[in-house]
Amino acid sequence: MKNNILVIGGGPAGLEASSILSRMGYNVILAEKEKLLGGHLAKWDRLFPDQVPAKEVLNDMLGRMDGVKCFTETKVNSINLLENSYNAMLSNGITVLADAVLLASGFDLFKAEKKEEYGYGIYEGVLTNADLEKAFQEGKKSSPAPRAIGFVHCVGSRDEKAGNPACSKVCCATAVKQAIETKELYPEADVYCFYMDLRMFGRHYEDLYLRAQKSGIRFIRGRVSEVAETAEGRLLVKAEDTLSSKPLKVTLDRLVLMAGMRPSKTGHDVGRQLNLSIEDDGFFSAKDGLQNLQKSKLPGFFYAGACTGPKTLPDTLHEARSAAMEIDRYIKENFRK
Amino acid sequence: MIDFGFSVSPSSRINLDNADKEKFARLAIAEPDVLKCMACGSCTASCTAGAFEDTSLRRAILSLQNGLSDDASKLLSHCMLCGKCTMVCPRGINTRHLILSIQKIYSL
Amino acid sequence: MIHLLSATVHQITPEGIIDRYPNSYNHFVLPFVIGITFILIYLFIGLIRILYHLSGEDRIKLLKSLFNPKTAWKNIKDIFCDCLLHTKIWKRKPLLGYMHSAIAFGWFLLIVVGHIEVWLFAPRHLSGLTEGSLYYPIFYRFFIWINPAHETLRGSVFFFIMDFLLLYVLSGIGLAMFKRVRSIALGMRHTTKPSLADRIALYCLWLIFPLRLLAEGFTADLSGGGFLTRPLNWVFRAFFGNELNFLPTWWAYSICLGLFFIAMPFSRYMHILTEPLLILFRNAGLKVRHPRKGFAEAEIYACSSCGLCLDACPMNAQKKNLKYSSVYFIRFLRRHNKKKTKEIAEKCLMCGKCYALCPVGVNSPAIRRAIRETQNNSINCNYSYLDTYAGKAAEVLSDKTRGKILYFAGCMSHLTPKIIKSMETILQASGQEYEFMDRNEGICCGRPLMLAGRTDAARKTIEANTKIIKDSGCTILLLSCPICLKIFKEEYSLKGIEVIHYTQFIDRLIKEGKLKVSKSSSAIVYHDPCELGRGCGIYEEPRNVLRAVAELKKASKEKDESICCGYSLGTLTLDEKDKAKIAESSVSSLMAEDPEEIVTACPMCYRAIRSKAEVPVKDFAEIVCERIENNDKN
Repeated sequence: MKNNILVIGGGPAGLEASSILSRMGYNVILAEKEKLLGGHLAKWDRLFPDQVPAKEVLNDMLGRMDGVKCFTETKVNSINLLENSYNAMLSNGITVLADAVLLASGFDLFKAEKKEEYGYGIYEGVLTNADLEKAFQEGKKSSPAPRAIGFVHCVGSRDEKAGNPACSKVCCATAVKQAIETKELYPEADVYCFYMDLRMFGRHYEDLYLRAQKSGIRFIRGRVSEVAETAEGRLLVKAEDTLSSKPLKVTLDRLVLMAGMRPSKTGHDVGRQLNLSIEDDGFFSAKDGLQNLQKSKLPGFFYAGACTGPKTLPDTLHEARSAAMEIDRYIKENFRK
Repeated sequence: MIDFGFSVSPSSRINLDNADKEKFARLAIAEPDVLKCMACGSCTASCTAGAFEDTSLRRAILSLQNGLSDDASKLLSHCMLCGKCTMVCPRGINTRHLILSIQKIYSL
Repeated sequence: MIHLLSATVHQITPEGIIDRYPNSYNHFVLPFVIGITFILIYLFIGLIRILYHLSGEDRIKLLKSLFNPKTAWKNIKDIFCDCLLHTKIWKRKPLLGYMHSAIAFGWFLLIVVGHIEVWLFAPRHLSGLTEGSLYYPIFYRFFIWINPAHETLRGSVFFFIMDFLLLYVLSGIGLAMFKRVRSIALGMRHTTKPSLADRIALYCLWLIFPLRLLAEGFTADLSGGGFLTRPLNWVFRAFFGNELNFLPTWWAYSICLGLFFIAMPFSRYMHILTEPLLILFRNAGLKVRHPRKGFAEAEIYACSSCGLCLDACPMNAQKKNLKYSSVYFIRFLRRHNKKKTKEIAEKCLMCGKCYALCPVGVNSPAIRRAIRETQNNSINCNYSYLDTYAGKAAEVLSDKTRGKILYFAGCMSHLTPKIIKSMETILQASGQEYEFMDRNEGICCGRPLMLAGRTDAARKTIEANTKIIKDSGCTILLLSCPICLKIFKEEYSLKGIEVIHYTQFIDRLIKEGKLKVSKSSSAIVYHDPCELGRGCGIYEEPRNVLRAVAELKKASKEKDESICCGYSLGTLTLDEKDKAKIAESSVSSLMAEDPEEIVTACPMCYRAIRSKAEVPVKDFAEIVCERIENNDKN
C-alpha cells in the first residue's frame, strides 16, 4: 500500500519535493491555493544571478510532476493530527488521510503601501519589484522612456517599524538584476540603487554587481526616507548619501520598491490549527536550526522553503530535496516495520 | 620614528584611543538605543533642520564613537526635535531622547 | 440620669435648653481641639507659602480676579459644583458621584446646619473662644439637656434634618467601604494604593460618622434626637438599662476627628481644603511656572488621589506601566522624590486624558512639562539659520499669498504624502486660492520642543514662523497637523489671521456649499487625536463631515476619553514596544462596533493606527477626497 503524503503549497519547494516523493513511490497530494502552480516563480520574468528565464525553470519542474495529484485553487480548510496520521479537509471537498505532511507555504511579499512615505499606491511612478517583473514578462516598454529610475532596497526588511527586523536575503541581488535589465531596456536613463548594505553573498552575485557598475548604475549607500511629488508629477526622492555624509535629493520618473518577504498568511492558517510554533519574525520555527531544519515539533510534519524564513531559489530547492529524504526516512521508520 | 616634539599640522586621523569611553557608556545607560544605529541615513535624509544646516544624528553617533564629541554637538545643535527621524528610523531608535541625552551629557 | 443630676444647671433658654456642663467643657474635646488647631495653623502657613511662591504678576492677577464679579461668581459656582457636589464625577460615573457628594456635601451641610442650630438655640457659644465655640457646635448634642416638656417644632425640625444628613453621609461612607472591596461596581477598574497616612485618615473618616451616630444615640434621651438617634437610644436603654456610660463613644468620636485632622496634611484628604484654592487660581488664569512651587503646589495638594487617572492613562494597556499614572506622579512630587518624578515626567505621552477626566482638574501634564523644562531648557542650540530662512521665505510668499489661504503641512505630514495630496485636491476642487508654506522645506512649529521642555528654543521657531506667516499677508492659516494646531492656537500671536484645522475648514466648505460630497454606506469610525480633541476641543467638526460621507460608528472610548495612539511626540522615553501596545489598545477601542474603515486626522495617529489595524485606515482628507462630487473639479 502506498503511503499518502500531503504537500501544502505548489511553489518551487512544493513542486520539487512532490516530484521526488512521487518517484520514491509515495502517493503525493499537492494543494495549491492559486489557479496556477509555481508560486512567486510563475510571476517572475528572469532569475538572478544568470538571468535564466523563470519560465524555463518552472517548466522543468512541472515536467516532473507526473503521478502527483495536484489540486489547484484549493486550500486546506482544516487539519488535525490523529494517532499517527494527519486528517486534512481540503476546500474542494476532498478529505486526505496523510502519513506525512510537508508545509511549503512560502512567503507573501511585504505590502509596500505600508511604507506610507514611499507613496506606493499614491504616486503613479512608484512600483514594486513584483510589478516590474510583471511588466518585463509582458514585454511592456514605457513611452516616453523614463529619464531616471531608482531602486529602493530593504522595503519592509530590516525595519522594525514595518514589523520585520530581518534581512529578506534576495532583494539586493534582485534589485541589481532588475537595475541591469532596466538599464538594458532604457539605456539613456539614469539608474540608481539605494541600499543600506549590499549583500551579494552568493556565487556570481559579485559579478552581477560589477556588471551593474560597469553599465553605469549608481549605487548610493543610504535608505530613502521620503518621496514627494514635483509640480510636473515626477518623484522627488530624499535620502542621505552616507558615504559623503550629505543629504541628497534626486528627481526620478520611476521608483521600484524591493518589497521583502513576509510569512505566508495561508501558511499561518494551517499552522494555527496544529499549534505550530512561530518565531518573533513570524516564520515557523524548525525543530532546530542546524540538523533538523526540515522537521517541526510534530511527528510527520515537515517544512521546506521560505515558510521557515527568507530563502533564495537554490536554497529552497535544496530544502525541498532534503525534506523529501526526511519524509522517506520517517515513513520507513514508522510505517514499514 | 623621530619625534620632533611638534607636528606641522594636526593629524586628521581618528584616534580611537582618545575616545571618551566612560562618557559614551553613560550615554548608553541614559539611552541604550544609541547602540542600535546601523547607519542607514534615514534620519539625516528626512531631517527638517538638515534642509538648512549640516545636521545628522547618524554622523553624531559615529563622531561620539570616534571621540569627536565637539563634532557631534555641532551636528545636533540645529535640531528642532520635530521627531521625523523617530518615525523613519528602521531600528526604532528613540531619536529625540537620544539627541537630548547627547546634548546633556556632552554639553560644551 | 446621674450625669444630669451632677451637672450644674447653667442656663435655661426659652426653649428649655440647658447646658449640662460648667463652661461647656469636658476633657474629651481635647483631641478634636488639638487636631483642628493643628490643621488651621498648617493651612495658614501653607497658604502663605503658596502665595509667596507665586510670581508678583500672578499675585496681582489673583487679586484682580477676586474682585471681578464675573470670576467671583464662577469661583462660587465651581467651588460648589466641584468641591461639594462633584458634578464632574456624577456626569461620568453616577454612583461614584453620589458617593463623593454624599460624603462631601453631606458633611458640609452637617457642619453648616449644626452651626445654625447652635446659633438659633445657644448663640452664646458662637460668640468667642471662651464659650467653646471651636468645638461646641460639633459636640452640641453632648453639652445640652432639653426638657422633653419644652420641645418645640423648630427643635424637632433640626433633629430631623441633622439625622437625615447623617444618614446621607453614612450612605456615602458605606459605598466607599464597598468600593474598597469591589471598585469595579462603582466604575473603576484600577484604584490607587493608599499610603500610610492615607490609611489612617481613611479609617478615621470611615469611623467618624458611625461614631457620631453612636455618640448621639447615647445622649438622644437628654439632648433630643431624630429618627435615627432616638430609636438607637431606646435600643441602648433596652440593652444597658438606664445607666448609660456614654463618655467613651464621645471620646472615640473626638479622637477620630482629631486624628483625621492631624493625618490630613500628609494624606490625600488635603484635597478637601486645597481644591477651593486651586479653583481660585485656575479661574484667575494662573499657569504652572515651577514644577513644585506656587500654583503647582496648589495642584499637588488638590489631588484627591482618587485614581480615576489610572483608568484614564493609555499606559494602563500594560499593568507594569500603571506606576506612571498621574496619581503616583503627584504623590512622588509631594514627597519631593526627584528621581521618580523625572522618570514619570519623561515617560508620559502628554495625551492629556488624565487632566480631562480629573474631577479636581489637576493639570499634571503642565507640571510634567515644567519638570522637563528644568531638565532641558538650558540645552544649547544654534538656530541662527531660522532668521535667514524666514526672511527669504517671507519674501517669496509675500507677493503671491496676500488675501489667500496659507497651507502649512508641518514636518510629520511630509511622511504621509497622502494627506498633502488629498488636501491639495480638496483645495483645488473647492476653488480655493492657496499657497503651500512648506512644500519643500519649512520650520518646525515648536510644539515638539515645547513638549520636551525646551521653551526658549521653541520661542525661536515660533518667532521665525510668525514672521513668515505675517509677512505673507494671508488671511487664513490652514493646518493639517493637530500638533501644529495646538501651539499655533496657544503660543502664536497672529492677529487678523484665522488659524484653522482642516477638519474645521472642510466642514465649513461643505456647509457653505463650496465642496459637494456624496455619502457611501461604508461603516467608519473616527479616532480623536489627542492634540485635536483634548488639546483644542475639536470633536464635532470632523464628525459632521464624516457623517456626510459615510456611516459613522462609535468607538468604545471617544471624544475626551479617546485613547492615545501611543506615538505621541509628548513622550521622551517610552520605548517602541510599549508604544505598540498602546496603539493596539487604541485600535481595539476603535473596533468596538466593527467598522470597515478607521479615519483619523493626524499624521502620527494615522501611521500608528495603520501599523496595528486589520481594516483600512484613512486620513480625514483622504476619505473626503474620495467622495468629492464637484463637477467643476478645476
